[in-house]
Amino acid sequence: MSLFIDDNLEQHSDGSVTCRHCSHLVGDAAAPMNAARVTETAPRTAGPSVREDAALFADRPIVFRRTFCPECLTLLQAEIVPGDEVSSRHRSLIVGA
Amino acid sequence: MPVIPVAGSEEFANLPTSPAETRRIVGTAVKLHEVGQSVIDALDPLTYEVIRHRLTSITEEMGEALKRMSGSVVVTDCNDFDAAIMDEVGDVVQVGLYNTELAASLDMAVSWTLRHRAARPGIAPGDMFLCNDPWVGGGLHQNDVSLFAPLFIDGELFAWTGAVAHQVDLGGVSPGSWSVAATDVFWESVPTPPVKIVENGEIRDDIEDMYLRRSRVPKLVALDLRAKIGANNVAHERLHALCEKYGAATVKAVMRRVLKDAETRLRAKLSELPDGSWTSVAHQDSARSGDRGIYKIVCTLTKTRDTLTFDFTGTDPQVDGLINCTYAGLRGGIMPVLLTTLCGDIPWAPGGLYRCVEIISEPGTINNCTFPSGIGKASVASAWATTNVVTECLAGLLDAHPEHRKRLMSVCCGTWDFALLAGVDQRGGGFVTMLCDSMAGGLGARTHSDGVDTGGLACIPMGRVADVEMNEFSFPMLYLWRREEADSGGPGRFRGGVGASSCFIPYDSPLGGVHLVVSAPGKALPLAGGLAGGLPAGTQHDVLLRSTSVHEDFAAGRIPALLSELGGEAEVIPSHHETDLGSADVYFTHWQGGGGYGDPLLREPGAVAADVIAHKVSVTGAHDVYGVVLASDGTVDQDATTSHRSALRLSRAGLDSDRQEVNA
Ligand SMILES: [Zn+2]
Repeated sequence: MSLFIDDNLEQHSDGSVTCRHCSHLVGDAAAPMNAARVTETAPRTAGPSVREDAALFADRPIVFRRTFCPECLTLLQAEIVPGDEVSSRHRSLIVGA
Repeated sequence: MPVIPVAGSEEFANLPTSPAETRRIVGTAVKLHEVGQSVIDALDPLTYEVIRHRLTSITEEMGEALKRMSGSVVVTDCNDFDAAIMDEVGDVVQVGLYNTELAASLDMAVSWTLRHRAARPGIAPGDMFLCNDPWVGGGLHQNDVSLFAPLFIDGELFAWTGAVAHQVDLGGVSPGSWSVAATDVFWESVPTPPVKIVENGEIRDDIEDMYLRRSRVPKLVALDLRAKIGANNVAHERLHALCEKYGAATVKAVMRRVLKDAETRLRAKLSELPDGSWTSVAHQDSARSGDRGIYKIVCTLTKTRDTLTFDFTGTDPQVDGLINCTYAGLRGGIMPVLLTTLCGDIPWAPGGLYRCVEIISEPGTINNCTFPSGIGKASVASAWATTNVVTECLAGLLDAHPEHRKRLMSVCCGTWDFALLAGVDQRGGGFVTMLCDSMAGGLGARTHSDGVDTGGLACIPMGRVADVEMNEFSFPMLYLWRREEADSGGPGRFRGGVGASSCFIPYDSPLGGVHLVVSAPGKALPLAGGLAGGLPAGTQHDVLLRSTSVHEDFAAGRIPALLSELGGEAEVIPSHHETDLGSADVYFTHWQGGGGYGDPLLREPGAVAADVIAHKVSVTGAHDVYGVVLASDGTVDQDATTSHRSALRLSRAGLDSDRQEVNA
């Protein structure tokens, strides 16, 4: 039996995780997005919601990090975070949960 | 300067203590009321529900009493307070709906008081204890002053009631007690461990003088003290009446069952959800004025059967500044999210709910700091950031269940936009006030609907904004506008609620201007994250315009509606700042919205067009983020939108039309 992890991801009984929009494999239960496509761009590429350049306020690099389904390019995760630290956003559902 | 350990401070490094341990330490110093299991088992459902609802309404009455007696706009108009009813050892049986962060650790303060004050000076009928030491509990920073009162029935300590409210100033280097240059707690308001300020029904003048002497507005703080005494008195009258009608044993049996009911029902709900772990992160930019650092709180939520474990391993060490919070602040960051996302249909009895929760946290980190770290801003800094990270983790858990996912919400308004005014008011008296306009933050998006625009703050269910006219009447200020801001809600298939801005000038002060303290992070990076591909909300944005043409505009009958119409020199304000505003200076402060849910390219184009008409989203945002092309009449150009979205889908992923890396 499969389980919807969120709007975009589905976990199957064998632990594989696929895109709900195109059924492409994007990861497994331990790392549901390990096969996803990740890009990093300047924060202001997130749109007009970012009002000023981060460099006005902070010395560390800030990035707009996006994670996409490698096939249909649906956006799976978006965060604006320091670029010099790895993403802390993870999840792992027990297989068969 | 690094935090230097203070010998003796360990006495105040309080942690939750079990009822049995509290009883053991109290011993015979105070006779604590108890009820047998047979009385609890014998409760009939009707009596249980009648008394349970009565307890709920008593906390609401406590809030009403507090509001009616207080003279502080923060309390009377903005509801920055809360009230609670606790059992004889402090377990919270019912928490009020107001600011649930404030009441999340009243139990710790009451338990500490029992363990440290029962023998000397003693706990007796008519006593009330005041506390604003967040290492003990009872509040999140020194401005959160709690007042808790033992209720005695037939010579036994039957229960406690507590009221806690934000006091606008309790001393420290900067007005409002938010010392933005603070490196440790000695720059800030003095934390006061529980003291018996009311004895046998009378205020102790010596203790009250010691308390009020530190404040820049002692009359206002004195009135709030009486408001909290009144709230406790109202609760005691009602609880006495309840015990007379039903018997103390029956009322206590209901309290015990409420705690058990909350625990049992939360465990049942958790059992329906899948097991797993969810890790998230909340950043904060700047720990004090002049600081350009970024600090993180990491939380891994592990859900196993009917238990939640919040593990904060990976969180940054405590920092020189005012943004740290104590363990009470960390709990204050967890409980409000549990209440609103998991307990909509469960009694709001934190004493029972905490039994389903384990917390792993290292002392010496920014949301579990040791004395004498600076904590002046704890409530809306590291405690609030804890709320953000817990919100994301719990949302991930709920999202994996087809029914419960309807209850999740993205992070709302990533922080409190703190702007404090001080000086001489239009009546010639000294004043200090925290502007509470950012109570109208944007709520986070959900799995099936947009976040509520300027809908409030998830941790303060009853929070509200003072009317513009009330602020202008109370303080020497004049608004140019307060309005929602386009694009401030996190884009997504469902959009986060938009935040708003206020723009004002000093007005009618005999000094001409006013003093301004700013503590509003989220400028280097937004603090309200999105979910499932939804984008974060917008960043905080504060601008000070010096020597504007505003008075000439007024004289000519014009009310400026844009910063660009005001002339003057613009200063973009950093996260922490303190300055004076002159009579022709204009201050613009723009707080955050809620995070989005789902990929913005999956949003219904018609909803984007409607957002543009309603000024929730700009034309630029609609085109660049949502990929929606609008015709000249504002309707969706369907063909152009389909084509633009296809192109945007590739380009935002760094690919060209042949799916080759753009920069390869
Ligand atoms: Zn896909």
